[in-house]
This record gives sequence, structure tokens and C-alpha cells, in this order.
Amino acid sequence: MHADDDRRGTRGFVAFDEGAKGLTGLVVKGLLLTAVTFTIYRFWYMTDLRRFFWSRTLIAGSPAEYLGRGKELFLGFLVALAILVPVYLVLFILGFAVPLFAPAVPILSGVFLFLLGQYAVFRGRRYRASRTRWRGIRLGQDGSAAAYLLRATLWWLLTILTLGLAFPFMRASLERYRIDHTLIGESRLRSTATGRSVLLPWLAFYGVGLLPILATGLAFLNNVDFSPPVDLFVPHPKGKGNAFIFNPRYAGTAVATSFGWFMATLGFALPLILLLIPFYRARETRAFLSATHLGEARLTSHLKARSFYWPYFVYLVTVACFSLVIGILVAIVFGVIGPTANPGQQSAALFGGGLLYVATVFGMAVIYTRVVMLGLWEAVANATRIENVAALEAIVASSRTPASGLNEGLADALDVGGALEIGF
Amino acid sequence: MSAPLTTTGRYFDGRSARAHGVRLQLGERLEIVGEDRRLDWSLLDLRAAETAPPLTRIGHSSAPGSVEFEDTAFADALAACCPDLARTERGGGLTRLVLWSIAAGVSVVLTALYGVPVASRLIAPLVPAAIEARLGEAVDRQVVGLLGTPPLCLEPEGRAVLDRLTARLSATMSLPVAPQVSVRRHALANALALPGGRVIILSDILTKSKSPDEFAGILAHEFGHVAARDPVRSIIRAGGTSFLLSLVLGDLTGSTVLVTIGQAAISAGYSRDAERAADAAAVSAVGRAGGDGRALAGILERITDGAHERPSATAFLRSHPYTAERARTIRATAGETPANVPGTSGLLTEAEWQTLRGICPPKETKAKETKAKDPKAKEPTAKEPTAKEPTAKEPNPKDPKADDPKPKDRQDGTTGDGAASPPTRPP
Repeated sequence: MHADDDRRGTRGFVAFDEGAKGLTGLVVKGLLLTAVTFTIYRFWYMTDLRRFFWSRTLIAGSPAEYLGRGKELFLGFLVALAILVPVYLVLFILGFAVPLFAPAVPILSGVFLFLLGQYAVFRGRRYRASRTRWRGIRLGQDGSAAAYLLRATLWWLLTILTLGLAFPFMRASLERYRIDHTLIGESRLRSTATGRSVLLPWLAFYGVGLLPILATGLAFLNNVDFSPPVDLFVPHPKGKGNAFIFNPRYAGTAVATSFGWFMATLGFALPLILLLIPFYRARETRAFLSATHLGEARLTSHLKARSFYWPYFVYLVTVACFSLVIGILVAIVFGVIGPTANPGQQSAALFGGGLLYVATVFGMAVIYTRVVMLGLWEAVANATRIENVAALEAIVASSRTPASGLNEGLADALDVGGALEIGF
Repeated sequence: MSAPLTTTGRYFDGRSARAHGVRLQLGERLEIVGEDRRLDWSLLDLRAAETAPPLTRIGHSSAPGSVEFEDTAFADALAACCPDLARTERGGGLTRLVLWSIAAGVSVVLTALYGVPVASRLIAPLVPAAIEARLGEAVDRQVVGLLGTPPLCLEPEGRAVLDRLTARLSATMSLPVAPQVSVRRHALANALALPGGRVIILSDILTKSKSPDEFAGILAHEFGHVAARDPVRSIIRAGGTSFLLSLVLGDLTGSTVLVTIGQAAISAGYSRDAERAADAAAVSAVGRAGGDGRALAGILERITDGAHERPSATAFLRSHPYTAERARTIRATAGETPANVPGTSGLLTEAEWQTLRGICPPKETKAKETKAKDPKAKEPTAKEPTAKEPTAKEPNPKDPKADDPKPKDRQDGTTGDGAASPPTRPP
């Protein structure tokens, strides 16, 4: 193929090393150490994972390099704790000491967590950018997390007010803010992402999911003159306190028919909506990547939606097979002992069950990392090209000081982001 | 050494992203020769970055430049003669890191095991009565919800007998607050104490009691918890423990099953002592009130399902000492106190006892009775097994969801005030 050109970096390929040799070992070691260290090792594990993924992503022939340290993440986490714990305590005491506030506390903490989460997303990204190097040039991110937070909040409000229609525009706006404040050395990335470019895929959710639900729901409401009868459901005559059945009084009426349609639509539309999520994500990733420029150079992506479905499909099949094996093993472990087993046997079975549980957790994690994480990452990387790659040679290093690990501590304490974010 | 190895690669100067084609030559030093540059790096300064073969990237420990090449033979030769090639700044700290982490984790667990109970004992008496009452209200609501909102039993005559018995028992004990006893129709033979002096009796325990003394023993046992402020202590302890554990897990937004299990295991040791103390308090209180304290042993044995009592691997999760052991202790204690004539004691007459047992009216009138007239038991509930543990609903500073898994654990009969009997419908 164009291997020679590729190596010299004259062709703008983005590629991912498919073999991913050593990933399984990394995951198993990381999880084991995370388990024995009361989860403290997770920062180092995350760092190892990132270094692995970064170093196997070749951009114009040169791999990216992740320079972060587990220690930085750990210290950031400690600082985040020091900030979060007092806030939680105050909220808790407030709810307790002032009964008037009690109902507001869950709402308050939810809002607070959301705001902090948005803040943490931006700061975490800044940390990751400053720990990424390509061709000896460090990336960076400027801009203000507070401004990002304000933007995100206003956009979310608008999205809620417009019943979700503003969602793609929000995504594009936030993407533009993130990309426009991302630098490679001294060169600033620029994004021309628009909400319009992902509006159609977004509307697909409404088309297959929400509209049919709305239509059948309206038909049902129409049949009952827009006031659903309170006795539509009656307690099950023989059931327990909270079992309900459809009131037989309505059987055979138009009310029952339209209600049946409504429920049926709910039944198939909700899974469809779930199924559409990878489609939307693929479209959005493609549109947003293709809108990313650096001077004269720009990214193009021909990402297919099916390459986002495939990892999930493989994952489901693998998990199904894996569960079957585990299920058989469980049956064996618990089958050999009857209900009359003595305590020794019970303990042995419990121990065996525990081992199986651990094996399941590890197995699932390895499968998820190898199949889904790797698959999605690879799909995005391999579908991306760089146009006018020669323009990248104009990038020069910057003298910015790298961001501190404290930035990402919040994100970990809040559990946003996860170890790896596609498209960084 | 044989002829110097050479290969071609790309050099990046660390100042621009431009790739410079260079020739690499490995001899005593690594020479990098390009059109406009000639570098000469000491083998001791070379550092390899993590890359996927066949690509190798070599950097310099103090210079900004780096060089990439695809020649694996060259990479192997380099690895053979550069001692510090794979050195990273983490430098073998892995073992140290793991050991320190384990030490930190152990320290947190020890704090949770020994420090938090002590702290809860010290703090519990300091909780103002108003706060404790409010807490009791919240816990009560939650416990009732967990039990499936069983209806209150409020037959006035039975209620009057219960109030008299309560007054008589509490007069012999030094309770921090006047107890508020509520009875709920439920198929579990159990009773529980909540903060603020709230005591919930599940109706099946009345059904299973053969004599007033047995029931009085159960009631006094719960009052014993109230006297020792066990419910508040237990809430403080559970809250503190789960808070500590989730600090380590970094899970500030939602507790995990791990936390739950850890907490259940940790609270077991504590509550056994508390149960023994409550038993002792109950025996002497019933004795002083004119009943037979030993009766408690009988009802405990009766409501305990033998099958649940065999030692098993889950034994450490139990919060109540084994019934046999408790019954033995109770009988021994009661022996020392001057017990009244066994049988119909001085506590309640046979007529009163029957009235009390009828506090839960027949099922048909259930709907009516749910409309509580009793101001004391506003939103009572019944809860699951066990007198001791309001832990199931401790207000968790971190996450309301955290409470959910707990109740399930308990329901499996891992605990019980004496032990949960298998659910049966009351007659």
C-alpha cells in the first residue's frame, strides 16, 4: 500500500495498531492491583491504559505519546475530596438541621453535581491535552472551565425547554468551544461543527421513537377525552398490595384498544431508541471530526455507523457465551452440594462462588476493554484522514507550562469521563 | 564489536512537528546524521518511549529531540547496550505503591472497625433530643416503606393495655426519652428500636408470644436498645463507616454493594454486644416490673427458625448472637433475680393479655385502621428483622440510592431480632 509514504508521514493517515498485544495483560494486572489496593491503584491503571491507547494511535505515521502519571491523578483526587467532602457535609447537615431544606437537598446536590461535572469535564480534558505529545510537541488547552460551565448550563436549559430539539446544537456549540481552545504546540485547532450537521440523525430519535409514542398516546387520550380514567387499573383481586391489572370494565372498548396500541408502541419504540444511540454517536463523531481544522490541514472522517454497532454486537455475543460458561460452572459448584450440605461444603461452595464472581468481573472487564473500548477507538482512528498533512509541519512547540493533575481529580471523584474518551 | 549498525529514521527536534530524515548509527554512541544536523547521544542518556512494534521511538534524557525508526534488529541491539533505555520516572515504585495503598486501606478499615464505634458511642449522647426525634421520624418512614407499608394496629382497648405495659416497663428503666411504641400488622415476628425512642412491634410477635411476660421481654429488649441509645449509635456508626469506605473507593456520588457488605460485616460485632446488653436490661426490667424475665428466652427460641441458626459462612453477617447462646445467658441472668411465679405474672391479667393480642383488628377493617389516629405514630412502619439496625436507612450523606441494597441483604434472614421467622400470614 502506501506504507512508505505513510512512514515518512507525508500521507495523512490516522491508524490504530489492531493487534493490541498486551492489552489483556494490562487490564488483568490493573484490575488485580486495583482490587488489592482498595481501588487506589485505579489511577495508575487508567494511566497505563491511556499510555497504551495513545502509543498505538499513529497520526501521520507518528504515534501519540501520553505523559501523565498515576501520581498526578491520585493527588488530584485527594484535592477533589478535600473540596467535595465539606460541601457534602454542609448539604447533609443543612438537610438535617433545617427540615425546611430537607426536600431541596437532593435537588441541590444534583444540580451541584451537574455543574461540577461540567467543570470537571473541561478541566480533565485540559489535563489530558497537556499530557499528550505528538512528534515531540505537547498539546494544550486554554479557555476557562467556568465559561464552559456557563455555556453548558445555558444550553442544557434550552435543550430541556425545547424538549430536546436543541440537543445537537448544544453538542456542536460545546464541541466548538472545546476544539477552539485546544492547541498543538502554538497552533490552535478550529472547529466548524454545526448543530445542523447532526440534526437529521438526532431527529431520527423523534421519528422512530417519540412520534409513534406521542401519536398512540394522543389517540388513547383522545379516546378518553383527555382525562385518563382513574380506575384504568384496579388492584389485582388475588395479588399482593401493589399488583394491578387492567380494569376489566374497559375490556373490548376503544379505550382498551388504543391503550393496548400505546403500550405496544412503548414496547418497541424504547428499544429502538436505545438501538439508535450508536448511530447518532457515529454520525456526530464523523461530523465533528470532519469539522476540525488546523491551519490549512483538516481532518476528514468516513466513519460508518455500522463500525459503531459492530463492537457492541461482538460484545453482546461474547458476553452471552461467557455468561453461559459461567452459568454452567455456577450450576456445577452449587449443584454438587444439596440443601442438606454441611457448613464445610457450604463454605466451599461459597468460596467457589466467590471465585467465579471474581472471574466474571475480570472476564467482563477484559471483554469490554478489548471489544468495545478498543473497537470504538479503532473505528474512529481508522476512519480518519488528514487532508493537507504538509501543513502540520508548521506546528511549533509552545512554552506553556503543562496543566496540573489536580484538574482531573474532580472528574474522578465525580466519576465522569471514564478512563478513555474517544476523540479526547 | 562488529561493524556499527545503521538504519534510517525520522528525527523530531521537539520544537517543530517537521520530520527530518536521518541515518542512525549505533556504535560507542548513537549517532544521528541528517542533511543539516549531526547529533551524538551517549547510550546512557537514551530513553525509549512506549510504542507498538515495529516502531521504536528513542528520546534523550535531557535534550528535547526524539527519533523514530522501524528497524526491530536495530531496536534489539540498542536495548542490549543501553542500560537505562526502559527507565521511567516511576522507577520501580510499583511495589511501594501497592504496599502503601494496602497500608492506607487497612488503616481505613481499622478506623471503621474500631474508631467509628468508639466515636459513635461518644457522639450519640451528644445528639440533641430534637434532632434525634427528627431522625427517628425519617428512619421510621423509611423502615415502614421497606416493610411494604404495613398498616398500623390501633384497636383502642389493646392500645390502652400496650400503653400501660409500656409505662410500667419504662418506669423501671432509665430511658432518655419516653418510648413511642407502634404496632404494625406484619408477618415477621420482630420488633425494632429506632432513634428518638420509637419502637415498632410487628404483629406476628404478639401472635407468637405465649404469655405477657414473653411479649414484655421483647418490648423491654427494645427499650434496652433505647436506653443504650443503640439506634442513634448504629446510625452514626453506619453512616461513618460507609462514608469512610466510599472515601477510599472515591465513590462520592453513589455507594456500592461493597460498602454495604462491608458495613454489614463490620456492624455485626458491635451489635452482638448491644444485643447482649439489651437482653440483660430486658430481663432485669421485666423482673422489676413484676414479670418473669426468663420468658424472653422462650420467645426468642420460638421465633427463631432453626435452619437459619446453623453456623455457616455467612455467620459473620449476622447481627444477633445465636439464639441458643442468648437464651442460655438470659436464663442464667434471670436465675439471680427473684422471679415471680411463672405463668400469669403480675404484668397483665389474662383478659388484658387477650385484649392486647387483639390490637390488630381482623383484616376486613384494615383500611379503616390505617388512618392513624395516634399522633405519636405518625408514619410508623414496620421494618425488617431486627431491633437493632436502623442502619438500613441511615441518612447517607453521599447518596440516597445507597440505602437500597441494604434492606435486601437483611431480608435474606442474615439478621433478625432473635431471627426472622419465615413469613407466615397471621391468623
